[in-house]
Amino acid sequence: MNRTLMMVSIMLAALFLVVGCGGSDQAPVVDDPTPVDTTPIDPEPVAEEVDTVADEPEPIDYASMAPQEYGIEDVFFAFDEYTLSDEAMATLSAAAGIMRQHGDITYVVEGHCDERGTVEYNLALGEKRAIAVRDFLVSLGIPSSQLRITSYGEERAFASGSNESAWALNRRGHFARP
Amino acid sequence: MSRIVWKLLFLCLTLFAVNALAGDPEISIGTSRVAFDRIDMLVQPLDVVSGGTEAQEAAWLIESVIRVDLDYSGFFRALSAEDISDTTRIQYAIEGLLEGRLAGTGVTPQERAPLLTLKLVAYPGRQLLLSKRYRPTWDRLRATAHHFVNELHLFLNNEPGISLTQVVFARGDGERRDIYCLDYDGENLLRLTANRTFNLFPSWSPDKDDVAFMSYREGQQGIYMLHTRTGKVGLVNETVGSNLAPAWHPGGEELLVSLSKVGQHEIYRLKLDGTVIRRLTVSPAIEISPSWSPTGRDVVFTSDRTGTPQLYIMDADGSGRRRLSFEGRYNDAADWSPNGEQIIYACRENNITQIVLIEARGENRRFLTDSSWRNCEDPSWAPDGRHIVFASDRTGVFKLYVMDVRDGTSRQLTFGDESDKTPDWSP
Repeated sequence: MNRTLMMVSIMLAALFLVVGCGGSDQAPVVDDPTPVDTTPIDPEPVAEEVDTVADEPEPIDYASMAPQEYGIEDVFFAFDEYTLSDEAMATLSAAAGIMRQHGDITYVVEGHCDERGTVEYNLALGEKRAIAVRDFLVSLGIPSSQLRITSYGEERAFASGSNESAWALNRRGHFARP
Repeated sequence: MSRIVWKLLFLCLTLFAVNALAGDPEISIGTSRVAFDRIDMLVQPLDVVSGGTEAQEAAWLIESVIRVDLDYSGFFRALSAEDISDTTRIQYAIEGLLEGRLAGTGVTPQERAPLLTLKLVAYPGRQLLLSKRYRPTWDRLRATAHHFVNELHLFLNNEPGISLTQVVFARGDGERRDIYCLDYDGENLLRLTANRTFNLFPSWSPDKDDVAFMSYREGQQGIYMLHTRTGKVGLVNETVGSNLAPAWHPGGEELLVSLSKVGQHEIYRLKLDGTVIRRLTVSPAIEISPSWSPTGRDVVFTSDRTGTPQLYIMDADGSGRRRLSFEGRYNDAADWSPNGEQIIYACRENNITQIVLIEARGENRRFLTDSSWRNCEDPSWAPDGRHIVFASDRTGVFKLYVMDVRDGTSRQLTFGDESDKTPDWSP
């Protein structure tokens, strides 16, 4: 909405500039036989058209957006752990507030792990992480029907690289659209 | 999809055809099991009777495949005549004759097929031990050479070798992972799934007709079965929650799977239609990675009931649980050796995962890899009980490697930039 308003004002300003400059440039050219077109340039219809569009409220389709786009943030885990840290609990409490406003949306809680360890144990660990996230949200009153869990283990990593900063980013409970 | 089906059909039919075309072996000496290790085997160049350049190239290919198979087996050492200074040391030799039968237009591939005779002879005296006649089509030369080497193993060792085996595995690029199959020497790579999602843990049925695997193809984890003759995929189990790596019972009638439908991972025995035969574990801990003993009497699996993942063995009904691994804080992915005496698994220590061999009764634990391998995971035994295949990221990306556990020699099996994991060596 702000962007359309801004564009309209830029367009209007540009029009005034053109009209103003044209007037003062043409006045001294007395030899020019071409009749000056005096039809007034009316900027109004353009502005009206844009106004009507700008006034219509655009409905936001939250269900088609990534949960992170409207404030539901992922949480992170310590190495080999699936218990929630205080920080993770605070993040989930904020997420629960937003989820309550969107009771019609289902979320998939994906458990992810860093690359260390075996494929199968990491899939099981990822599921434990997803369950920890789901159970905490349910304890805050989010209906379990709104939350589905799955685990990708060490697949679908968020950060590549074999170092602690990449590993820390990959040990997470991630919220996704179903 | 249909191309994959045809390729699979071709794979199976030609294996069958090579068998059917093999002539009666002329065996002049009946020897049962011979005790030996690394027997010198002189491999003579094949005599090319006719067929021109194409036949000569075919002869070279067959000879080279036989040489690789012999060296790979660990039982033989392939030698050339120029390698041998003392001819009295020669025990066995392989000799061959290739008759190319190239003809003009209108000739069927079968009619064009070369006639190939491969022989095993014993020195001194070039005594004929084994003679095999083949009529392979020109694109089946590799399989024919593998077949002859397998006959050689059956004759000299009374057991099949591994030259006709394959490896299935999961290859991925981060956004998807597909099941692939290749020959044990790295040739004939074939993709078996193409569903744009994650497919993992392929497992051969004992008769090699099916590959069970885990897939997210319906959006959540499920256990699926791929029929190798038709390429058809069927659902085995897709209960709520996790459905992890399937492991075949040696009888081929049931699977071991870890499911989390009760809220945590427990090990179940399933019929091939997904019906639960028995739940084997009851514990709030993670219980995963089951593998049958070759007799089907025992199951080795992973449990983190002590706080860290450790290996345990239990009876097939879930009773008699006893701990197998006491060293290392992280042990998983066990595979029982074909003779039942050894177990290989992955052990993580100091952030690095290595392959470990231990006797099934818990003694003589030893590392098969060291830190020069970086991480090694998902070990699987070859049917000869001598070779294993596993995934290692020693080049920066996980690729498959084969190791001879007796002498520690190894070879890289897969190449390329994509990550290869969870291999399973065929029967």
